[in-house]
Amino acid sequence: MNRLKIIFSCISVCILLYACKEIPVEIGEVIIPDSGKTVLIEDLTGASCPNCPKGISAVNNILDKYKNKVYAVGIHGFFLSNPTPKSKFDFRNPHARDLENWFRPTGGKPAASINRVRRPDNSLLSYLPDLWLSLTEAELQKAQQIELAMEVSYNTESRQADIKVTAIPLTDLNGDFNISIFLTESNIIDAQSNGTEIIENFRHDHVLRTMLTKFDGDSFTSSMKRGVSVSRNYSFTLPVQPAGLWIPDNMHVVAMIAHNSSESREVIQVIEKHLK
Amino acid sequence: MRFISIILAVSFHLTVNAQEKGVFSGGFETNANVFLRDSTINAINTPQYDRQFFGGEAWLNLNYAVDGFTFGLRFDMFNNSNLRIPTDSYSGVGIGRWYVKKRFEKFEINAGYLYDQIGTGLIFRSFEQRPLFIDNALYGASVKYDFGKEWNLLGFVGKQKNAFETYSGNIKGLRLETFKTWGEENPLSIAPGLGFVNRTISDQSMADVVNALRTYLDEDRFTPNHNTYAVSLYNTLAWKDISWYTEVALKSDDIFYNPMAIKTEFVGSSIGKLVQKPGSVIYTSLSLATGNLGMTLEAKRTENFSFRIDPNLRLIRGLINYLTPLNRQNTFRLTARYSPAPQDISEMAYSADIKYKFNKSTSALVNVSNITDLNGKLLYRELFTEFQYKYLRKWQLTTGVQILNYNQEVYEQKPEVPIVKGITPYVDFLYKFTDSKALRTEFQYLHSKQDFGSWIFALTEYSIAPSWIFELSGMYNIEPKKVNPKGLIEKTLYPTLGAVYIQDSHRFSLRYVKQVEGVVCSGGICRLEPAFSGVRFSMTSTF
Repeated sequence: MNRLKIIFSCISVCILLYACKEIPVEIGEVIIPDSGKTVLIEDLTGASCPNCPKGISAVNNILDKYKNKVYAVGIHGFFLSNPTPKSKFDFRNPHARDLENWFRPTGGKPAASINRVRRPDNSLLSYLPDLWLSLTEAELQKAQQIELAMEVSYNTESRQADIKVTAIPLTDLNGDFNISIFLTESNIIDAQSNGTEIIENFRHDHVLRTMLTKFDGDSFTSSMKRGVSVSRNYSFTLPVQPAGLWIPDNMHVVAMIAHNSSESREVIQVIEKHLK
Repeated sequence: MRFISIILAVSFHLTVNAQEKGVFSGGFETNANVFLRDSTINAINTPQYDRQFFGGEAWLNLNYAVDGFTFGLRFDMFNNSNLRIPTDSYSGVGIGRWYVKKRFEKFEINAGYLYDQIGTGLIFRSFEQRPLFIDNALYGASVKYDFGKEWNLLGFVGKQKNAFETYSGNIKGLRLETFKTWGEENPLSIAPGLGFVNRTISDQSMADVVNALRTYLDEDRFTPNHNTYAVSLYNTLAWKDISWYTEVALKSDDIFYNPMAIKTEFVGSSIGKLVQKPGSVIYTSLSLATGNLGMTLEAKRTENFSFRIDPNLRLIRGLINYLTPLNRQNTFRLTARYSPAPQDISEMAYSADIKYKFNKSTSALVNVSNITDLNGKLLYRELFTEFQYKYLRKWQLTTGVQILNYNQEVYEQKPEVPIVKGITPYVDFLYKFTDSKALRTEFQYLHSKQDFGSWIFALTEYSIAPSWIFELSGMYNIEPKKVNPKGLIEKTLYPTLGAVYIQDSHRFSLRYVKQVEGVVCSGGICRLEPAFSGVRFSMTSTF
């Protein structure tokens, strides 16, 4: 009798718990305020990285959803960034390598930094592409602090690009600030690992080709006063080789202003312009 | 710390009051690594190689039993350790575990960081695997009640440990076990058990799930549940020389990440997404031990049984359960090189292990395992043979061959690489010069045209009992297939030189090691680890 009671009690508890119905969780939408706030996604990726197309899809979906509010840079550093056996190009470069070393994607790839905001684990990176949208939206909900303008002029014959970046603070800002300027190239058709296969005709967008500043940025200014603009000028001559890369029609200039202190590396504002 | 002080104070108080002498026991373990950068084997680009140069770990375990109480305390230290993430550095110091256990006549209570399991662990196992930085202790309380001699019921509730913190989800469970026997001469016995576990994910974890689902199109979306329920029914039936274990585990709709599922994107698709599905595992093991013959046959079918404290965790993080590996756990360097980790989404595994002892000096073993996914795609196949001959107490020869197929695409997520096919003959020879002096040599040759290519491994170990062991070994990539960091296909030697000193229950070892990148398994759980170059000191001590 004692045993029957035990068995009956256990089964009853199991059935009771199993029978409990939860109130369904709502999957709602996020409301983004209508402001000029922009967000930078730095996607640590690689041609030999089998899971990276998932990250690239996540970035593309965010860019589609928030056109002219979110910009991306694809960083092919060193880890899983070597060309596949079917690749034509090698996207790795010293700036990408140094950036990857700086971010340290110890949780693997894909990994992305959203406005260089620290995660609860103190890392600047998120390793779950499914969460990049919500992290981006959290940034878009923040107040815009500076207005960023960029003039780009490109000389077709000399292949020289002249860039002027101007920041106009919308509020007083204290601390040190850095500027980073990335040159990215899109619409490159080349091989990419994807799960257990290699896609030969994968479209690579926002590939970091070089930086016009140091990999961790150049000093921009210390403290900004509302309405007092600060400008910087840069020039760069596009290489001719290798054939199939450095095509001006496919290139963009991405400029961003970020905090530069051990407490915060947060990106304040970012802007992107076509090279031509 | 205040709580620990109270425990110590109570234990002292009990010692004094009970006038009973308590028993102290414990153990100490430490690893200390000096990292020597070597770009030729890819031992580079980690903080330890770049700037820290040293990393290590230590665990000091203390137990004190008095008057029906047992108190335990463990000090953990990680100093620039590469255990947590093999390519990164982790530091942390603190109390890694404490617990209090009190045994009454019919029941037992436990509180603190607890290790326990239901059945083989298919629905719940809180355990520790130090080489992989797994410490899935349950931080909570449990009560076990004995209903007579045959029945006992265990109930537990708590959170899962995460280094010096806990994950945010909650776990609770029940385990009912009994034992019955019939007959006198050849008794038939059964040891059935019933287990139940409920996992509730936290609001923060659910917020991340919802944020992920917002990026999914309608065809991939689902309404997520906070709660998952898992049950398992298991039994060991024993009769004469036969023992038959069976366990069936079922899991209700559970959110988990399926790395092979196709996610529909706005344009095209990607691989890997969160899904919410029920799961099941069936495991059975039949053992026969009669006279000179020993045999074990095993089978396991796994479907959608990734069970974690938080569905946003990956790899070996936050595992609530433990899936038994069916392949042979090899110990020789090259036969252990390609080890398959149990697959939690889709796996069908069989194995047979037959050992026959011809006489006192001669025995043979054959082990076969075959692992596929549920669609029949080959993941792992192994034939392992072993022949052992002992000549008096003078020398012993162990030899055999391993033939394996290993799906590197699946186990190491390397795209478009062929299945690794390897044939590894091996010899282990032990010669005793005197009762205290012996020489052991190993030789293995792994022939493969895939991955790194072919290897040879040789080891010689001279022991002077009871205190000293000296060893020298080398693993040599005799027919290399892989391009090294210099962009060349080169033959590379990975040497190890070391000494072990044993004094009573204390063991010290010091080794110079160069180790190739590979899958490291501990207790059936595996992960890919980078190459190592440096000096390793380790010490274990029990008291």
